Order: sequence, then C-alpha cells, then structure tokens
Amino acid sequence: MNGERALVFDGVTVRYEPDAAPVLAGVTFSLAAGERAALVGLNGSGKTTLLMAAVGLVGHEGRILVCGTPVARRTAAAVRDKVGFLFNVPEDQLLFPKVIEDAAFGPLRRGEERTEAYRRAGAVLDDLGVGELAEWPLHHLSHGQKQRVALAGALVTRPPLLLLDEPSAGLDPPGKMALARLLGGLGAAMLVATHDLKFAERLCRRFIVLDGGRILHDGGDAAAVQRTWGMEE
Amino acid sequence: MRTPWHDMWGCGRGPAGRLAPQTRILAGAILFAAGLTSPAGTVPGIALAAATTLGWITACGMPRRAARSFVFLGLAMFLPYFLLVPVLMKGRAFAPDWAGLARVIAAPWDVFLHGLAGMLVAAATVTALSASDLRRGLLALPVPRVVAAVLIQIVHQTAELLAETGRVAAALAVRGASGGGRAALRVLTSLPRVWLPRIIGRADRVAAAMEIRGYAETDLRVLGRSTIGLADFAVVIAVLGLLVLAAALRWRWIG
Repeated sequence: MNGERALVFDGVTVRYEPDAAPVLAGVTFSLAAGERAALVGLNGSGKTTLLMAAVGLVGHEGRILVCGTPVARRTAAAVRDKVGFLFNVPEDQLLFPKVIEDAAFGPLRRGEERTEAYRRAGAVLDDLGVGELAEWPLHHLSHGQKQRVALAGALVTRPPLLLLDEPSAGLDPPGKMALARLLGGLGAAMLVATHDLKFAERLCRRFIVLDGGRILHDGGDAAAVQRTWGMEE
Repeated sequence: MRTPWHDMWGCGRGPAGRLAPQTRILAGAILFAAGLTSPAGTVPGIALAAATTLGWITACGMPRRAARSFVFLGLAMFLPYFLLVPVLMKGRAFAPDWAGLARVIAAPWDVFLHGLAGMLVAAATVTALSASDLRRGLLALPVPRVVAAVLIQIVHQTAELLAETGRVAAALAVRGASGGGRAALRVLTSLPRVWLPRIIGRADRVAAAMEIRGYAETDLRVLGRSTIGLADFAVVIAVLGLLVLAAALRWRWIG
C-alpha cells in the first residue's frame, strides 16, 4: 500500500434522520497499514455505526478513505473487496448452509480455483479451532462456533483492513486468547469494536473511546478507557 | 437451537439421493403435478396418485417418522373438508341417495386426495435435498437467478427465524405466557410487536451482510455445479410418463 493509511475518517458525521441528532459527530482519526486499534465506548456510543460507515452501509458527511479509496456509492464494491467485516451477530452474515461453503465464498467470488478456495477456507477454520466442523450445517453450531465461522469468512481473503464488531463475544476464555493471538499475527490493519477490555489490551496498543458519537480519547493508555467509564480502581 | 424442520432437509437415504439435485427437484415437481392431475373420482386415478406418492416417498428414503408426521398433518388439514358434507346435503331427500351422496363427497374427497398427495410428494422431495443440493439444483435449472438466490436464502434463514421464534416463545413462557389467564393473554397479544421488529431488524442486517459479502452480484455456481447422467434422463422421462398418464386419465384420452 506504499505507506498509505488503511483507514481515514476525516470530520465524519452520520445521521439516521436528516433533522435528528448525529450518531457520529465530526469523527476524525486514521489507521496506518497494519495498525490495530480498539474502538470502545458505552452502548449506543456509535461504534457499530462507525464500522458500518467505513464500508458505506450508512450515508455520511465528511470523508472516509479505505486503503486510499474514498467510500461512496460508486466505489462500494472496490472498498468492500479490501475489507474483512465481522457483524456483532454472527448469524446475520452466514449466508450458506454448510460451514465450509460459507468460509470459502470470499475466495470463490474473487475467482479463485475451487479446490484452492476450499483448502484455504479449511486452513482458516483450523486456525480458529473449528476445522472439524467444516461439513456441518450452520444451524447445528453454537453461538461461539458461529462467531468463529463468521470470522473465518472475514479472514480468508486476507484483506488489508479488518473491521470487527465484538469479535470475542460468545467465545470461551481459551478461544478469546487464541483469537487475540491469531489476529495479532495477521499483519492487517484492524479496528476492533469491543466491550471486552482484556481482549482489547491483549490485541491492541491503541484505544479510541467513543462517547455520544464523538471521540473522547485516542491513545495508547488503556487506563484512560477505564477512567472515562468510571471503572478505575 | 436445533430445529426439527431444518433437519428434514436431506435426511432421506433413498436411491433418489444419487440423482443430480436438479433431477430431484424436477422429478418432485412433475410428480406433484401428476398427483394433482390424477382424477380423484376413478379407481385408476386414485391408484396412480397413491402409487406415485408412495413410490416417491420410498425413492427419497423419507424417514418413517417424518412420513407419519406429514400424514397426520395432511389428515388434520384436509379431513375437515368432509364436515361440509351435511351442509351440501341440506335440502336433499332424507332417504339415502347413494348417487347424490357420492356427488356431494366428490369435492372434499378431491381436495383430500390431491392435498395429501401433494404435501407428501413435496415433503419427500425436501428429505432428498440438503440445503446445498437445493442451491446446486436450482442454479442448474432455468430459474431466474434472483428467484433462485431468494429461495435459497429463505430456506437458509428459516432455521434462524425458527430459532428466533423459539427464543421469543421461551421468553414469553418465562414471563408468564404459559401461566394462563390475563397475563398470558397480554404477553401473547404482544407477540407480533416483539417478534416482527426482531425479524425486520434481522432482515435488514442480513441484507447488509449480503451487500458487504457480494452475495447478490456473485454467480453462486462458483460454489459447485452438478453433472447429470443417463439415470437422470431416465428418471425425468419416467416421471413425465406418469404425468402424461395422469392427464390421459383425467381428460379420458384412454379407457
């Protein structure tokens, strides 16, 4: 990417209704290639909206760039090819009846050969600890297992930017540790919206705190997050 | 949460499972039509509807328990039509008039036979197709791509919707819907207001995921195609023969 930023938000405002209060208000930050940041904030602070805005799922004022491409209706497909996205409810993004089919869809739609796509999808499922479920129907999986399969679908194409909404939700403690290790070794830039501070600290060195649609804190001090939440010891 | 309905897909273990998915769908559709076309008022017509239904259930290897459930469901759905007989008999002579009775029973019998046969053939077809088979089969048939994609998602999402409904029902039970009385009524009447927004919200999020993952603009055949062989041709010709026979019996081209 020649040093270009993986994600740029420049004065981004999002409103769901024209006259309503903004859900995001003048948000400005950027992520370098390979940088990992945790996006934290109370419920309703705008975390999910920010992730959705980054892939053009909600309209915005201001400027958003993904790997140098401005996010707009006409560039939506190009932007989404560069992003691995994890929704906070895994069932929402699992579109195929069998685990391996869902995980392999990304590479297949990019024209990869079928055997290779299935091999890669199998390898990612293995890394996430659900390789033995490859042939299972999705409706037989637990929430945590679905979460991992949805993650596999986001990771399998090795996108340069990952936008992950609550990736550790529903995972058991060993699963969370393994996930943090796996994500930490990927080399992709990632913005991780989470309420799980331990997971965030394990994975990220930067913490962006949202409050009422504005950035309250942006830095490497995890304790500042606890202070803003009134959680300091 | 596991849903028995979704486990029906592809649970059959009959020889039809060896056919290409598109052949199974096509054969099921043709046999469904044959069952509906067979005349319910003649012995050959009844025999043909029964034979095609039982034959397809056997070929699909539909589990006995599932077959029994669908027979009971069919009886519950279509037997009540016979309750219309006294209404239809009103005004006729009190003395038994067998020809008149046969004429009056003909209509509910027609609904009963065709309804039960159609339901069983459709259910047997479902047991012969996994959800993945359904996708491969539909995409191999001349079905508009959008229609196929929507049908595939409907089947896939049904499991989640059933699970969602199960969770809402469980919450209602915990909060007093099963306790009887006014509380139960209040909770039950709130069901549409609870369930519908959840389902609409979910549909919104699934649509967003489809957009992000490029589902709509991708030819889903990239996930795998199925090939057809001589057996597939033979089966399609055979079931078409049954449909022609049913039509011949109905419109008296023969006999």
